[in-house]
Amino acid sequence: MSNDNNNDNFSPLSETGSQVERYRSTRREHGLGKVLLSFLGSMEVAISLFVVVGIASIIGTILQQNQAYNTYIIKFGPFWFELFRALELYDIYSSWWFVTLLGFLLISTSVCIYHYAPMMLREWRHFRLNVSEKSLRLMHSSGLWKTDQSQEQISRFVQQKLVNGGYSTRLKNEQGVLTIAAKKGAANRLGYLFTHGAIILICLSALYDGNFNLKLRELAGQLKPETRDLFASQVPTISRLKAGDNHAFRGSSSIPEGSTTDIVFLQMRNGFLVQELPFNLTLHDFRIEHYESGMPKSFESDIEIEDKKTGKKITKTIAVNHPLRYQDFAIYQASFDDGGSIMDLQAWSLENGSQKAIRFKQVVGQSKEIDTAQGKVKLELTEFKVSNVQPNPKAGETGHKFKNMGPTLTFRIRDSSGQAKEFINYILPTQQEGRSFFLSGVRSSNSEPFRYLFIPVDDQMSLKRFFDFRALLNNNREMQRIAGKTAELSLQGNKPVKPELVQQMSVVMLRLAQLFNQGGFDQVLADINKKVPENKREMVTESYFKVLQTILGTVYLEVLQHEGVDISNKITPVQEQYYDDLVNTMGVLANYDAPFYLQIKSFEHKQASGFQITRSPGKNLVYLGCIFLVIGIVLMFYVAHKRIWVRIKSAPDGLANEILVAGSGDRHQKEFAQEFQALSQLLDKEFSKQH
Amino acid sequence: MSTSTAEMHNIFEKQSFWRSLSLFDWLWAVAVWLGAGYAWQQYSSHMDTYEAGILFAVAAAIVAWGWLWKPVRAYSIAVALLSLFAISLYANNLALGESNFFLKFLISSKSAIMWMSALYVLATAGYFIGLFSGSQFTNKTASAMTWSATVMGLVGLLVRWRESYLMNVDIGHIPVSNLYEVFILFSIITALLYLYYEAKNKTYNMGGFVLLVISSAVAFLLWYGFGARGASEIQPLVPALQSYWMKIHVPANFVGYGAFSLAAMLGVAYLIKDSMIKRGFNGPVFRRLPELDILDDVMYKAIALGFAFFTLATILGAMWAAEAWGGYWSWDPKETWALIVWLNYAAWLHLRLTRGWRGRPLAWWAVIGLFVTLFAFIGVNMFLSGLHSYGEL
Ligand code: HEM
Repeated sequence: MSNDNNNDNFSPLSETGSQVERYRSTRREHGLGKVLLSFLGSMEVAISLFVVVGIASIIGTILQQNQAYNTYIIKFGPFWFELFRALELYDIYSSWWFVTLLGFLLISTSVCIYHYAPMMLREWRHFRLNVSEKSLRLMHSSGLWKTDQSQEQISRFVQQKLVNGGYSTRLKNEQGVLTIAAKKGAANRLGYLFTHGAIILICLSALYDGNFNLKLRELAGQLKPETRDLFASQVPTISRLKAGDNHAFRGSSSIPEGSTTDIVFLQMRNGFLVQELPFNLTLHDFRIEHYESGMPKSFESDIEIEDKKTGKKITKTIAVNHPLRYQDFAIYQASFDDGGSIMDLQAWSLENGSQKAIRFKQVVGQSKEIDTAQGKVKLELTEFKVSNVQPNPKAGETGHKFKNMGPTLTFRIRDSSGQAKEFINYILPTQQEGRSFFLSGVRSSNSEPFRYLFIPVDDQMSLKRFFDFRALLNNNREMQRIAGKTAELSLQGNKPVKPELVQQMSVVMLRLAQLFNQGGFDQVLADINKKVPENKREMVTESYFKVLQTILGTVYLEVLQHEGVDISNKITPVQEQYYDDLVNTMGVLANYDAPFYLQIKSFEHKQASGFQITRSPGKNLVYLGCIFLVIGIVLMFYVAHKRIWVRIKSAPDGLANEILVAGSGDRHQKEFAQEFQALSQLLDKEFSKQH
Repeated sequence: MSTSTAEMHNIFEKQSFWRSLSLFDWLWAVAVWLGAGYAWQQYSSHMDTYEAGILFAVAAAIVAWGWLWKPVRAYSIAVALLSLFAISLYANNLALGESNFFLKFLISSKSAIMWMSALYVLATAGYFIGLFSGSQFTNKTASAMTWSATVMGLVGLLVRWRESYLMNVDIGHIPVSNLYEVFILFSIITALLYLYYEAKNKTYNMGGFVLLVISSAVAFLLWYGFGARGASEIQPLVPALQSYWMKIHVPANFVGYGAFSLAAMLGVAYLIKDSMIKRGFNGPVFRRLPELDILDDVMYKAIALGFAFFTLATILGAMWAAEAWGGYWSWDPKETWALIVWLNYAAWLHLRLTRGWRGRPLAWWAVIGLFVTLFAFIGVNMFLSGLHSYGEL
C-alpha cells in the first residue's frame, strides 16, 4: 500500500512510463545480487536482447539451415566452413548460444514481472482514496463547483453519473471531507501480467517441446547422431532412442505401400537419430490426385497404428492438413516419394564393339554395377514419375493447356572415377511432326538444363531397327563386305571398273562409316579438316558426304532386308523418313556420351508416403500462453485505464459545499479530456462552476 | 476534434449503446445476417464446420464494425451490390468476362482491380494537390476516390473468388493465396485503416502520405500481375494451403502489415513537419500538415492495432503449421521474419510506453520498421524462396 501513501507524488503529467520509473526508483536495490537482478530486469537489457535475437534469427534465414555439410564446404571453402560450424551457424536455432539468448530473455522477463507485478496488481485493485487535494488540483483535467446541496445529495448524484459512465466507485468520509474515488478499465494493468506471463509460459513450453534434452544427452556422451548412410536396423544403440525415452520429438519417416515401421528419423545437424515408436505404423494405401496442370491436388494415406502394449488398432485416412492424433503423438501427411518401384530395363549398348543389349530388373532408389568397355559403371535409379504434365505447345488447336508426356525415369550413370551424368528417359515414345521418338535428356550437373536425344521408333514401335543399324556399322566383317559391294555398285558407271579403284573406294567408304560411327558428322569433318588442304576442302567434303550417304544407305537397306522388308521396289516415304531421322540421331549420338541407352520395358509402380511424426506435450500450454498473450494485448491497448476523484467539503463560507473533481486517463489523455468535458457539462447543469 | 462523441451522447447520461442504434443500423444488420444465411444455405455442402463458423463470425464482425464505424454500412452495401451484379452477369460462364460489357469494362475481377489501381493513384495525386492548394473540394474528391477504389478492390477480390470456382470447382478458393491477391488485400486494408483515421481526426492531409504506399503497392501489383510475371492468373492451390486457416491467417496478417505501413507513412509526414519546424518554415503547406501530436498519436494507434493483429496472425499461423506440417514452430524463414517484425514493434511499444519516447526517434523507427515489414512480406518470398516451405507441397 506504499503506493497509496505515496500518491502525493502523483503528478498530473504522469504517464505509465514515468510512473513505472518512479516506482522502480523507490525500490532501488543494493548488494550484488540485487544489482544483478535490477540489471537483468531492465528495459535496456530486454530491448538489447530483442535486437540480438532478431539479428541471429536473420542470419538463420539467410544461411540455409540444416543442409548436408558437403553443400556448405562447397559453398564456403574449408576455412569458413569450419568457423561457421564452430559457431553452430548451420543449426542456429538449436545452438547453445541461441538457446542461451532465449534463456536470458526469459530471465529478463521473469525479473521484470517480479519487479512490476506488485505495482500492477495494486493499480488494478486499489481506488487510491488517499489522494491529496493538492495533487488533484494539479491534474490535467480538474474543475471546481459549488452548491448548497448536501454532501449526500451531491455524492449520490455524482456516483450515479460515474456509474453510468462505466466507472466503479469507492467512498471515504474523513473529518467532514467526502472523497469519491472512481476507476474504470483497471484491467488494463492486468494486461501487463497476461502478456509477460504468456511470454514465459510460451517460451518454457516450447523449450520443453524442443530438442534441448537430446542436446544435453549428446553433451553427456550418451547420444551421438549417425552420419553414415545406414539402414535403420544397422544404426548402433548410441544413435537410437527407445520409445519411452524421449518426451518430445519431431521426426520423419517414409513408408512404402504395404509396409510397416516403428521408427522415425530425427535430424540432428548433419546426422540423424533413430527414434523408436510405441506403435507400429502401416501404410495400406496411398492415393494422389493431380490438377490438369500436373500439380498435386491432394494426397492421402490409409494408415493403421497398432499399439505395441495393448495391441489396440486404429485405422484412419490422413491427408495434408488432416493429421491423426494418438495420445500425445501426431502423424502428419508430409510428402510422397517412390516406394521402390520395380523397373524392367533394357540397356542398349552405345559403345563400339560389343553390341549386346542386357535386360534386368532394378528398384528405384537402388544402384547396380554394369560392365562396359570403359570398365564398371554404376547405374543409380533416382526418381520415377508416373506422369509428366507439360504445357501443351498446341494449346490453341486442341484446347488443352497441358499434355501428359507419360512416365519418366531419372537416373545417374557414375563412372569409376565417381563422375556422374544425369539422365531422364521418357518411357513412352513422343510424337514430333507425326513421327515417334524416344526421348532421353542428359546433363552433367544439376545447374544445366537437359539436352535431349531423339531416337526414332521403327514400324514396330521399337528401337530394334536403330540398334540393328548400329550393330551392323560396328560389325567390321559385314562392313567390309558391304563397303566392297557398295563401291562396286557405285563405280559401275565408269567402264571398265578398275579393281584398284573399287578397292580404294571401299577403303574410303569403310573409313568414313567408321568415323561417322565413332563421332558422327563432326568426326568426319574433323578428319577432313585435318588431312585436306583448305582450298580443296569444300570439294572433298561434298564428295565424301555423298560417299558416306551411299554406304549408310546401303547399310540401312541391309537392315531392312534383314527385317524381311521387300526392298526390290522403292522404299516407302516412311522408311525413307526413318532413315533421315536415324542418320541425324546417329550423327549426334557422340554428344550423348553414355555407355548405353536405357529403355524401360515395363514397370511396377510402388509409392511411399512421407510422414512427420511428432510428440509435443507442451503444445497445449503454448496455445494457452497464446490466448493469454492475446487477452493481455487487448487489455493493454483497448482497455483505457481512467480514474476520477471527487472531493466534497464544505466551502470556506460554510454555507455551501465545494466539489473538486479531477481525473487522469493514464495512457489515453486525449480521450480522457473529452470524457472529463462531458462530465463537466453535467456538473455545470447541476452545480455552479467556480473559476 | 471539437465535436466529440461525448457531445453527441454524453456517456455519463444513461444511454445504452443499443439505444443509440438507428433503424438503418438494424435493417443493415439484418441484411448482413440474411446474406450470411443465404450464403450458408447455398454453399454449406462445400463447407466444413470451421468454415461455417468463420462465415458467421465474419457476419458478426461486419455488423459490429458497421455499428462502431458507420461508413462501413454504405461501403458493405456498395461492395455487395456490385459483386452480386457481377456474379449474376457471369451466370455460370466464365467466358462472358470477355464479352459482357459490364464485366469486361467494369466489374470482372481484372477490370475492377484496374479501376481500383487507377483510382488509388488519382487519389494520391488528389490528396497532394489538396495539401498544396488547400482546396477542401480536392481533398473531398480524393477521399471519395479512395473510398471508390476500396469498393472496387474488394469487389475485385470477391468476384475473383467466384471466378476461380467458375474455372473449375476444384480450383476454386478464397483469393488470398498468392502475392498478386494479397497485394490487393493489402491496398484495401491500408486504405480502410487510413479512411478510419481520416474521419476520426477530421484531417485529409495525411492522405497523400498514406496513399503513397498504396500507390506503390499498386505499381507492384500491375508489374507483378500484368507485366512480366503474369501472376494475375488464377492458380490452383497446393494441398498445404487447402485449409480454412488460410481464410483467417492471411487477412489477420494483412491488417498488421497495413497498419504498420500506415504508421510508417505517418512517420514520414511527422519527420517532414518536424524538420520544417526546425528550419523555421511557416508557409500554408506547413500549416496544413497535421499537428505533430496527431501524427504521433495516430502512428501509435496504428502500431498498437497492427501489433495486436500481427500477434493474432502469427499465433494462427503457428496453429495452422501445427496442423499442416506437424510443428507449431519450425524456424521457417517466413515464421522467423514474422518474429523479427514482432520483436521490432514490441521494442517500439516498450520504448514508448515505459520509457516515454515520443516523436522523432519513434517516427524514424516506424519508417525503418516498414522495411523490416516489407522484407517479411515480400522479401522472404522473393529472395529466400529457396528455403521457405510455404506452398512447397
Ligand atoms: C520477450 C520479452 C517481452 C515481450 C515479448 C514483451 C512484450 C510486451 C508487450 C507486447 C507490451 C505491450 C505494450 C503495451 O501495450 O503496454 C509490453 C509492455 C511492457 N513491457 Fe514488455 N515484453 C517483454 C519483456 C519485458 C521486459 C524484460 C520488461 C522489463 C523491463 C518489460 C516491461 C514492460 C513494461 C513495463 C510494459 C508496459 C506495461 C504497462 O505499463 O502497461 N517487458 N511488453
